[in-house]
Amino acid sequence: MSGLRFFARRLLQGLLILWIVTSATFVLMHLSPGGPAMLADPKLGPVERAAIEERLGLNLPLPAQYLAWHRNLLKGDLGQSYLYQTPASRTVLERVPNTLLLAGIALIVSILIALPLGIRAGLKPGGAVDRVLELVSFAALSLPTFWYGILLIILFAALWHLLPAGGIATPGLEDSILDRVRHLILPVAVLALPLTAELLRYVRSGIASVSTASHIPLARAKGLSEKQVIRRHLLRNGLLPLVTVLGLQAPLLVGGAAITETVFSWPGMGRLGVEAALGRDYPVVMATTLIVAVGVVAVNIGLDLLYRWIDPRVRIE
Amino acid sequence: MKVSPWLLPLLLLGCGGGKSAANNTLRLALINDPILNPVLAPDLGSVLVNKVIFPGLVRPDEQLRPVPDLATSWTVSEDGTVYTFALRRRVKWHDGVPFSARDVQFTFERILDPKAGGFLWSDYTSIARVETPDSFTVRFVLKTPFAAFLTLLGYNTGIIPEHAFKGMPIANNTGFNRGRPIGTGPFRVVAAVPGSSLTLERNPDYYGPQPRLGGITFKLVPDANAQIAALRAGELDLVTLEPASLPGVNGVASIVIRQATVPQHYFVGFNQRLPLFRPPHVRRALELAANRRAIVDGVLKGAADLPVGTIPVAMGDWFADSLPRAVTDTALALRLLALEGWRRGPGGSLRNSKGEPFRFTLRVDKGNPSREQAALALQQDWKSIGMDVNIETVEFAALVRDNLQPGRYDAILIWWTTPPDPDQYSYYATGQINNNVAYSNRRADSLLLAGKKETDPARRRALYNAFQALELDDPPVLVLYYPREIQAMTGRLAGFPRLGIRDALRHTELFSLTER
Repeated sequence: MSGLRFFARRLLQGLLILWIVTSATFVLMHLSPGGPAMLADPKLGPVERAAIEERLGLNLPLPAQYLAWHRNLLKGDLGQSYLYQTPASRTVLERVPNTLLLAGIALIVSILIALPLGIRAGLKPGGAVDRVLELVSFAALSLPTFWYGILLIILFAALWHLLPAGGIATPGLEDSILDRVRHLILPVAVLALPLTAELLRYVRSGIASVSTASHIPLARAKGLSEKQVIRRHLLRNGLLPLVTVLGLQAPLLVGGAAITETVFSWPGMGRLGVEAALGRDYPVVMATTLIVAVGVVAVNIGLDLLYRWIDPRVRIE
Repeated sequence: MKVSPWLLPLLLLGCGGGKSAANNTLRLALINDPILNPVLAPDLGSVLVNKVIFPGLVRPDEQLRPVPDLATSWTVSEDGTVYTFALRRRVKWHDGVPFSARDVQFTFERILDPKAGGFLWSDYTSIARVETPDSFTVRFVLKTPFAAFLTLLGYNTGIIPEHAFKGMPIANNTGFNRGRPIGTGPFRVVAAVPGSSLTLERNPDYYGPQPRLGGITFKLVPDANAQIAALRAGELDLVTLEPASLPGVNGVASIVIRQATVPQHYFVGFNQRLPLFRPPHVRRALELAANRRAIVDGVLKGAADLPVGTIPVAMGDWFADSLPRAVTDTALALRLLALEGWRRGPGGSLRNSKGEPFRFTLRVDKGNPSREQAALALQQDWKSIGMDVNIETVEFAALVRDNLQPGRYDAILIWWTTPPDPDQYSYYATGQINNNVAYSNRRADSLLLAGKKETDPARRRALYNAFQALELDDPPVLVLYYPREIQAMTGRLAGFPRLGIRDALRHTELFSLTER
């Protein structure tokens, strides 16, 4: 199949996925008990309640609300946030750069650490390096984020006064790169730790499965240096699983990491999405879902293309 | 010069960015982006910020009595239905435009329009009309006398500027409500970073004493533990805490802990639509069997006051201090239950003449440890006299919408936050909007109605003393405790009044931060 047709087909599939995801979110959102936080004020009387429901369009039957959402979407209008009284699309898009910054740096850091370590471990499966790394990565995967996030804040901010306790910048110093970097260190560390551990295990098993294959000793036997063996024969084959994992991490990249963002007061998409879900801020829940889904679909289409480039045999229809 | 890459982290760690600039800026926490409009703001965080930006006609003093603010004086007509306010002159909005009676009238027009999206409508249903005889006089004509009127004016009703809305619906002015609000308060907003912070600086044109702080920064810190860590790190100056978090701040030299009484009562509401809970004897028995002292000491670590009735101790003179508080007497409880036909059968369980057990479900909101533990303690207390009590935890929004308001529950653990006025007509008079427990007592109805209208303080006090005495015999709800707000603040902060943070923040011009 030609590249263009492949791309077009993926795009159509992507649109279908978007429709399914937003429809499912709409249904789940309205199935869950409770309702918009602004209606959860026990003091509201029937008159105020009715006025609010009418203003938000909640007095309409659900199918009508569902259709109205799509109609407005075609006009580029994702509605007005209940909690923030702002256009939902603006509220969500405001958070995208913060999310990309935190998750992107965490992802880069974890790749930079996991790649060399994973290769070392994979070249000698069962060796000392491999066993130590397995233990460490297992521990890293098991740590609950909210616990060790707070622990790092207590140590580095409250006790040692070395780093800020949270936030994206000191208010008033938003333009200082140094200040920004200082605010990034702890949340990146928290986010990157389990990510590194996971990547490391994938890279290790990818490399390990290839390094024991018969063509590797052959390459060595024909006199290639160890560096050349790794670069020419191991990396391309060993890295396919890594690309898979990156695809799996796409929701993190665009959707943010709710717990880390909450603990570190980071204004990202994850926190926004959770707050919107808890407050039943329907327009923001829908906008977040849509925008994250678009991002995830886009990343995955990109990775599909990357697959085909890494391993030309991947042409399965 | 070549700097080793290993030194870079050390360089970054060493820079305590912006600490000197922050020296005279008070830093407070919010859990959510606030809506910067007192007429629209539904949540506590927004209310706190708006207290700083938008003064009202009056404000509460340290005894929670209304004292002049944007109004300098007022008169009340003999029959209590006409309030005439003389407004302060030469007051400027944050954008320099002069403040006048038109702004007050505009604010109340928006409040009284239920379609405007405001949350104050039900507070002011007694208003017939608002008149402005001249630019500095406002007259409120009420349909009936309403004694809580002044208190409500100083509670949440900040005045908003007519000129900022230019005829558009107030809910649509995103630029104002989310970014650059215009008030008359001692501090004005200079920067709003969504999801991060709100920065206010001293208002040099403020009509009262010049603020002593250079500014106030509200930081968004959604996680309670992270708030405490930030306080300990010196990045926040004041946080309010749950009792369970006290160990995190106790014994830290730089932090002062204070407790403030607040006008709230936490209670278990028994659904009096159900025959089970209709007899006053049964509700009294449930109350006598509940060990509220154990809940206050054990669950709330002492950060609450034992209750009499539904009027909390924070109401000052309105609280009936001479009545007994939170009596526990299981023997009496069982005698009262026997009067209603409930006797302990084999195995100790309570049964009526038909052999039915005394069984009900207590609902409580999910996720708050204090309230969940209080519910467990009550379950044990009631079990010990033979009742069969289930606990169900429900998300707060669902608890309110699906249980409390439609009246679909047996018993519910919840609370009321009220203005600092004893008027509880809408909560406990027969058939009123907030009477979700369906309490009905004719004498209570007449006392509450009389108290709502009586403007003479001494006569009004006698009415509410009688109401609180009546509550001991026919409790509308089982009041568990009056919580105290736990405030953990830096020792550098001075001038913070002995009030809950909600009322204290209308006094920010008096706050100051001493040198480190």
